[in-house]
Amino acid sequence: MVARTLKKASYTIFAAAGVGLVLVALFLLSRTAQNSADFDRLHGVLLAINIAGVLVLFAFLVGNLARLLREYRTHVPGAKLKARIVGMFVGLAVLPLLVVFYFSIQFINRGIDTWFNVEVEAGLENALSLSRAALEMQMRQHLYSTQQISQRLGDVDERQLILELSMMRRESGASEITIYGANNRILATSSDSSLARLPRPLAEEVLLQMQQDRPYVSLDPEDFEIHTAVLFSIRGRAEPIGVLQAHFPVTERLARMADSVDKSYREYQQLLFLRNPLKGTFTLTLTVVLMLSLLAAIYGAFILSRRLVAPIQDLVAATRAVAEGDFDTRLPTPSRDEIGFLISSFNDMTQRLATARREASLSQALVEAERTNLEVILARLSTGVLALETDMKIRTANQASGAILGVDLENQSGKYLAAVAKGYPLLEQFLDVAQVHLQAGETEWREQIVLRGEIGRRVLTCACTTLPGDESHAAGYVIVFDDITALLQAQRDAAWGEVARRLAHEIKNPLTPIQLSAERMRRKYLDTMSEEDAQILDRATHTIVQQVEAMKEMVNAFSDYARAPDIELGLFDMDKLVHEVVDLYRAQESGIKIILTSDPTMPMIEADIGRVRQILHNLIRNATEALEAAEDGRIDVQVGAAEFDGIQFVQIKVEDNGPGFEEGSESQIFDPYVTSKTKGTGLGLAIVKKLVEEHAGSIRAYNHQEGGAVISIRLPLNEAAREANISNSPRRADRRREGA
Amino acid sequence: MSRSPVNISGKFATPSFGLALLACLLCSGAVAQDEMERTGYFEVRSASTQSIDGVHTLDARLQLVLSSEALQALSSGVPLTIELQLEVIRARRFIWDDAVAGLAIDYELEYRPLSQRYIVQNRNSGDQDSFATLYSALNYLGRVQGLPVIDDALLEIDKNYRIRLRAVLNTQQYPAPLRLLFFWRDQWQLQSEWFEWLLER
Repeated sequence: MVARTLKKASYTIFAAAGVGLVLVALFLLSRTAQNSADFDRLHGVLLAINIAGVLVLFAFLVGNLARLLREYRTHVPGAKLKARIVGMFVGLAVLPLLVVFYFSIQFINRGIDTWFNVEVEAGLENALSLSRAALEMQMRQHLYSTQQISQRLGDVDERQLILELSMMRRESGASEITIYGANNRILATSSDSSLARLPRPLAEEVLLQMQQDRPYVSLDPEDFEIHTAVLFSIRGRAEPIGVLQAHFPVTERLARMADSVDKSYREYQQLLFLRNPLKGTFTLTLTVVLMLSLLAAIYGAFILSRRLVAPIQDLVAATRAVAEGDFDTRLPTPSRDEIGFLISSFNDMTQRLATARREASLSQALVEAERTNLEVILARLSTGVLALETDMKIRTANQASGAILGVDLENQSGKYLAAVAKGYPLLEQFLDVAQVHLQAGETEWREQIVLRGEIGRRVLTCACTTLPGDESHAAGYVIVFDDITALLQAQRDAAWGEVARRLAHEIKNPLTPIQLSAERMRRKYLDTMSEEDAQILDRATHTIVQQVEAMKEMVNAFSDYARAPDIELGLFDMDKLVHEVVDLYRAQESGIKIILTSDPTMPMIEADIGRVRQILHNLIRNATEALEAAEDGRIDVQVGAAEFDGIQFVQIKVEDNGPGFEEGSESQIFDPYVTSKTKGTGLGLAIVKKLVEEHAGSIRAYNHQEGGAVISIRLPLNEAAREANISNSPRRADRRREGA
Repeated sequence: MSRSPVNISGKFATPSFGLALLACLLCSGAVAQDEMERTGYFEVRSASTQSIDGVHTLDARLQLVLSSEALQALSSGVPLTIELQLEVIRARRFIWDDAVAGLAIDYELEYRPLSQRYIVQNRNSGDQDSFATLYSALNYLGRVQGLPVIDDALLEIDKNYRIRLRAVLNTQQYPAPLRLLFFWRDQWQLQSEWFEWLLER
């Protein structure tokens, strides 16, 4: 930016200096054109500077014109306006300049021509001719006198020659008479001036005339002295012996007038000669001035048009930038005129646009934040939320909805719910219920529905309501549903616990007196009775005691189920524990084969060792009891470390090859008194489930494909795993909370 | 207006200006048929110096042929200045030569319409002569005899000197507008080549 400003400033200084130089040169040139002696020697330099100025300006103009043409062709914004302004200015400048130039040339030419006048010229010619005629007359007379002198002297004796010569000179009025012999030798001379100055030798032209036997007469152009020369002969000799030359002064008045005429004529002729060069010089100077003015005017037109168009070009560029979304564009206000007003209005507009956009983006960000919050809340919600379009397309669904219905609904936005539901029985049943209501025109409904799936039955409470429609979205529905299976289960568990406690309390108390009474009856009356009666009593009391024992056992089991001592967590070796438990059952030699697969390297588990031992006991006992009637009974116990969703578990899997669970009873297996066995209290698996859930673990029961039941348990390895598992499974957390 | 000189007297005819011009043309060998087209030229035909009493004097023959425009100017009363430029140069072996002395002799040639004579004036000495024809005037100008150039005492004994001579039509005395015009006209760029010779001592 600074470099650009400096460049611009230097360019301006350079241009100003150039213009100044040219103007000074122009001024001085006009002075030299007027023949000012001071600037005489500068004329060439000044003219060169001016011509250089013209050339430089011309070069600038060509450059500017080329640029304008290029901009015009490439449709640069403002180029047409610039071209129009330049054209207009050029038109405005050129015409007056050309008119002024034409009239100036005319005035100069006429002005110079008025110096010359045909009458004056003719008068001067006549004066010259008259002067010449007057002088010629004198020249003829003096030549004649010279010839007379020459003849008379020819008759004179040589000794009297000098004397006669002087006398004749005085008579004739000559200023000097000299007789030259051969080789310019002076034979005799007479002069009116002193003899300090010897006569000059004969001029070549005199000799030339003499050689041709012609008299010579001429007028000295400086002092208007008439020079005459004739051949000089002596009487008695055929050949002339020399040349007689005489100088005759012209009368002073005539000489003065002749000099004046000569001078005037010469000056007039010089002026005549100077006329065309003068005209040429003035025309040249004027042309240079015209060219400078013209080119400067055109160049000025370019600069002016550029200055005028520059803010408009900026405005166009800024408008484009705004159109492309750049609202931060601000233009410098060039002046306080209309364009300045326009630019400041533009700046206001962009500023307001920028503010509006900022506010819009701010509110959008707020909406986004709200939406994100809502999404987070929805994601963390254990309740399933499913928003549908009126045509049953999924608008949005949270994670819990997918988890409850066993389908990933979160990423199915825009799809028809029916299409997504295919192959997912839970969702299909859910959809059926929803459609029944919606097709009946019920948009606000609430219902508890029971869904039957592979794993078991699910009880959901559903509530549906309509969504408010807007411009982009038509009104739709939102169905909120909750899996209350666990809640119901917990309620059932609690009810059973209460039953068990009452049973234990109400039944256990009378059992001991019944047993004691039966034993006492037996002891007292057995020996006193007959063999037959004794046998009946013995059987009866035996049965009573046996059944009371059985009832006690049952009541103890109830008591165990209802009892819920605090969990005591501690680190122990699962491998070791499972070996202990399995070995105990192996020692019973029940004929059932127990195969234990345990990983000795698995890490120590943090759990309540008593509860885990009970889990193992119950599971193995449950399997053993299921296999009582079977031949080749076989129990597979698998214990090992496992990792699911980044959470570490210990997985216990007990499989048997017995009859398995009854079809469809998988979901109720863990309820008390749900058993397919002839033996047992029916509380074993219910207690196992309760213990597993106390450890934040999970339990699953299903039938093996080849037959036989499988119970799979996952126990978190440590506290961290427990926490992670709880947070990972809101439903499980809920269940746990409810269970607790 | 006729510019051709007129004889003062038909009876006592002096060589006319036309004849003189013709002579000039013949002498110069110019073949231009149109007088107005004649470009003119200056040439040093011969030049030499001789030492007389320790002073080197110049003898030279020059051919001075005026161009049509110069002749027109002359006949219009504009005096012409013909300058003889003489330089004495000391020859040096390794660096450029040194001009020891320079001499410029200006002759002014002028036509007087009343007397129809040409005046030649040596502007250095003030001597002047008048001639009936341009030919004789130019002939007079083109004949240099015994012009003292330099005193031998001013020259170093063991050095070699060269002398060069040229004739130039000098337009410096004219007013600027005329000079400017003459600057662009070939007919006013009359200048002979340098004629150079060794100074014999």
